[in-house]
Amino acid sequence: MSSTEVNLKQGLRKLEYPICAKEALYKIFDLICSRITSIKNMDLALDLMAEFVFYEVDRRGHKRAQQLSSLQELQLIKILYEYFNSISSESGRNTVFLSLFSGTTLSLRLGILTKFISTAIGIPSSKILSSASAWMQQLGNASPNSCKFAEGIIQDYFYFYVSSTEKITVLPQISPQFTANFMTAVAENYFNTTNKRDVCFPPKVLLETITLWISESTSLCVAAQQKQAMLPPGAIAMEATTPIAGLLKWCILSPIFKQENTFYNNLHLALLNSIMEIPKAVPPKAIYAQHLTVSINPILAYVNDLKNRQEKKLDQILHEDSLQLALDRFAQAIQVISSVNAMYGHVDDLFHQLKLLPFNKLMSIVLNNYKNKVVIL
Amino acid sequence: MEIDLEISDEEYVIQRAKESFKNNPAAAKAWMITAKIMYPNNFGVQFEAYQIEKNAGHIKEAAKCFSDLTIKFQQQPELWKEIEKLTVALRAESDNNDEEKQFLCEMFRHLSSDVQHKLLLFTADHCEDTMEHCRLLLLLLQRFPTAISSNGPRLVDTLISAEKHSVDGHFPVNPYRKLLVCDLLPLLASEKVKVDLSSKLLQKLLHKAIEFYFCYLGLNTSAIQDTETKIEDPWTSLFGVIEFIGGQLNWEPYLINFSTNWSKETYWQKIVMFCQSKTKNYPLEDKQLLFCLSIFFVHCLFEYNSSLTPESSPGQVPTTFIMVEAFSDSTLPNLTETKSKKRKSDVDMPHISAPCVTVEKPQFKNIQNNFLVCMNCWDLLNSSENLRREFIKLNAHLKLDPLLSGFVIDYALYKGLYDESLMFLHKITDSSLLLQRYIRETAILYGKKNYSYCLEPITLALPLLPSNEGILSSNLIVGGNQKHLHYLPLTRIAVLQYLVKILVRCIKENMQQQSYTDLAIGHIFTLTQLDWPQDEDFIPPLLEKIKQNRTFQYHLFQSYIINVDILEELTYLWTSQGGQIQLDILPHLGQRRIGTRGADKGVKEEIKQAIRRQISRSNEKLDDLLISFILNERAQILQTLNKLTFSM
Repeated sequence: MSSTEVNLKQGLRKLEYPICAKEALYKIFDLICSRITSIKNMDLALDLMAEFVFYEVDRRGHKRAQQLSSLQELQLIKILYEYFNSISSESGRNTVFLSLFSGTTLSLRLGILTKFISTAIGIPSSKILSSASAWMQQLGNASPNSCKFAEGIIQDYFYFYVSSTEKITVLPQISPQFTANFMTAVAENYFNTTNKRDVCFPPKVLLETITLWISESTSLCVAAQQKQAMLPPGAIAMEATTPIAGLLKWCILSPIFKQENTFYNNLHLALLNSIMEIPKAVPPKAIYAQHLTVSINPILAYVNDLKNRQEKKLDQILHEDSLQLALDRFAQAIQVISSVNAMYGHVDDLFHQLKLLPFNKLMSIVLNNYKNKVVIL
Repeated sequence: MEIDLEISDEEYVIQRAKESFKNNPAAAKAWMITAKIMYPNNFGVQFEAYQIEKNAGHIKEAAKCFSDLTIKFQQQPELWKEIEKLTVALRAESDNNDEEKQFLCEMFRHLSSDVQHKLLLFTADHCEDTMEHCRLLLLLLQRFPTAISSNGPRLVDTLISAEKHSVDGHFPVNPYRKLLVCDLLPLLASEKVKVDLSSKLLQKLLHKAIEFYFCYLGLNTSAIQDTETKIEDPWTSLFGVIEFIGGQLNWEPYLINFSTNWSKETYWQKIVMFCQSKTKNYPLEDKQLLFCLSIFFVHCLFEYNSSLTPESSPGQVPTTFIMVEAFSDSTLPNLTETKSKKRKSDVDMPHISAPCVTVEKPQFKNIQNNFLVCMNCWDLLNSSENLRREFIKLNAHLKLDPLLSGFVIDYALYKGLYDESLMFLHKITDSSLLLQRYIRETAILYGKKNYSYCLEPITLALPLLPSNEGILSSNLIVGGNQKHLHYLPLTRIAVLQYLVKILVRCIKENMQQQSYTDLAIGHIFTLTQLDWPQDEDFIPPLLEKIKQNRTFQYHLFQSYIINVDILEELTYLWTSQGGQIQLDILPHLGQRRIGTRGADKGVKEEIKQAIRRQISRSNEKLDDLLISFILNERAQILQTLNKLTFSM
């Protein structure tokens, strides 16, 4: 350990928490945002974060027995807020943000992060939200950590403060990119049938809010794809996944989970309108074909379940309104998406799988059209 | 859900959309989106989608569908019908009652301007009816000022040739002309970009506009075919046209500015300024003075003519005024002279001898102002051979005579051109103007001292007196020597008063030239009664004459003399203090030879009785009395007007 490092740490150790956190953050900025950075500097920065910012380890690197108190957490959030708002360059903000909340320590810091971003939504700060957006994107906006983070935000804004939705309603105006990535993560959290034991459904206010967001701006879903975040030098930008496929899944599956209400109806329309407005891209990048296949298995499972119950005749099952509504929506979405050429990945595979679905007139038309088109091509 | 498997895929999708529209609009829209995107080249589907949005009243969505339709399916007759509906709606935009029309107009506003433009141009070009074509092109220009420079001149040509070939094209007020003058020209004027029109065409347009508006203003009412063509303010519109065309022709900006604080007086000053600024080499082909002056003149003439019949308060009959030659009296103080003395610098100006023009009440002062501006214009128009010739040409074309006819008489009267006035007056045959003709003929004949000829027009005028009663005028005489012109209200009393005043002067002046007769003196007594005591000064010399003659014979006495003052004077002369003048006023006593004093006793008593009877009648209506006097005693009156009367 070089003497400068030692001096730096010892200097900080003389300060009390949370003042040392504030000082450490400025040192961290110097270490990782200067023109010439090194692995050594990066390591030092990570040390400073653990010891002085998040108070996770002591001077010897051992895990502290005592974690931050609620008050200290609050003080840290205030410091983080002021700190990030004071960094003028977007890439600088994103660099520090990504270093603070990534890697092995992320799971420890996710709670603080959630509270921090909740605060940034409430006040609001578009700078911090755009860093959070970049963070989600680099992490994978539908990755488990992003989803967990989104869950935390939802807890804050759609369970605790249900009575006051003003702040969250205007979120797309503050940071459309963050909103888009947030929606992608949120979409993943509900109607998730891979975890069969407990399929969750979005709270009404959340559904309402997302419907409103998308209805008001057809470009919101692709916002994160339209504006690339400024990343640290050398970082590989990750393509954002749009929330379209995930939210379509809600709309398609809501009837068969008996969740249907007018909001799904409106959300579905808003999504179709958004798809229509997707800017042309070569190759297409807005919707991944495999993401659309997610709804197929739950539908098949639903039919099987009905069959197994033996309460209805097969003919009745196949003509059941909920099932047909799900399939209508599914077929509409597929038609619109393929017409505007917004889908990438294994499209043929998707259409192949769609054939497995129970009969639906529109779906059969859509499949036929696709077949003819492919033949013509 | 029952699905007919026989129907086509397209029909199925559309049917689903229609089905859900009532109960679930969002779902219906989702179906619509699917249908439209599935069959982008199927007119039926796309048109149905439009119909559904339209029926649901979704303006933006309908506009989007309509845009797509017009771009892709221009050849579809069904779409054409819809486009036709749209253009009809656009032209009747103010029609608030028709919901569909309103919707279509609103939808049109949501179309991109590119689509709007194409739509209108395409419609216009496909229109077989010329009027329709012009209306559509106009609509296009109104909505897309950028198209004016390219399509404006084209529309001008089309309208001019369409008018030429149309049935009612020879009437200046016809639908094509109205479109050209009232709609297209202001539109061209509103565009700041210089429109490419030749100066010859611009002059033609100006000519057409003037002809249209003059005609519209009712100068030639028979030519107005389309009575529904209402124009709010024709003069402002015409001035607007001059501003535009004058501007295009590079005319003097101050000559074509009618907008800010415009007044007749200041504009006249501008014309004078213009004339002074031009040398004799001023190019004859430059028409700006002719056009500006002519239009200004007609405008003033128009105002003059309408000021002659001011608007009356509700329920009252409007009164018309005519210019007549009134009277002046050098023994009275001269009001106009005292005024002009204040301005010493003007003393040498010849206008001191200019006629004095008066009106009944100060609020009619504008009549005389209007007249003076008209007169200035008229003088200027006649000041150069070229202007005169051009104006005659213009007049022949625009048929301004009905407007001019009154003014030229007034002008001749003002200038003292009696023969010219008489010539104009003899042309009047319109029964509604006959009274005016006779009044003025009377005045002119009096002015020419043709006393014996005056009676005829007076007797012709009296049966034509207006029913509007009116009052006696006190403005018929001014002090001084100058010629006096007065705007006489055409009311029963005022006209009668004026005619009587002329007649009394005819008799008096004729008498002074020839010799005094008792008949003339009696007539004067009778006539001065009407507006007594305005002309009471006439009486004392006559009484003096009677005194000298020691006798006075007037057998019309009992019929017409009821004025107390006159009766008193006569009675006094008859008494011993007054000189015991013999009054031969009772025709039945005329045969008796007047003998000695004692024998006269019965006669005296009869005269006394007669005078008493006359005094008791003094409240009788004098107007009726005098009308019957003039009409019934024509022969007796004529005797006093002839030159060859024998003195008694």
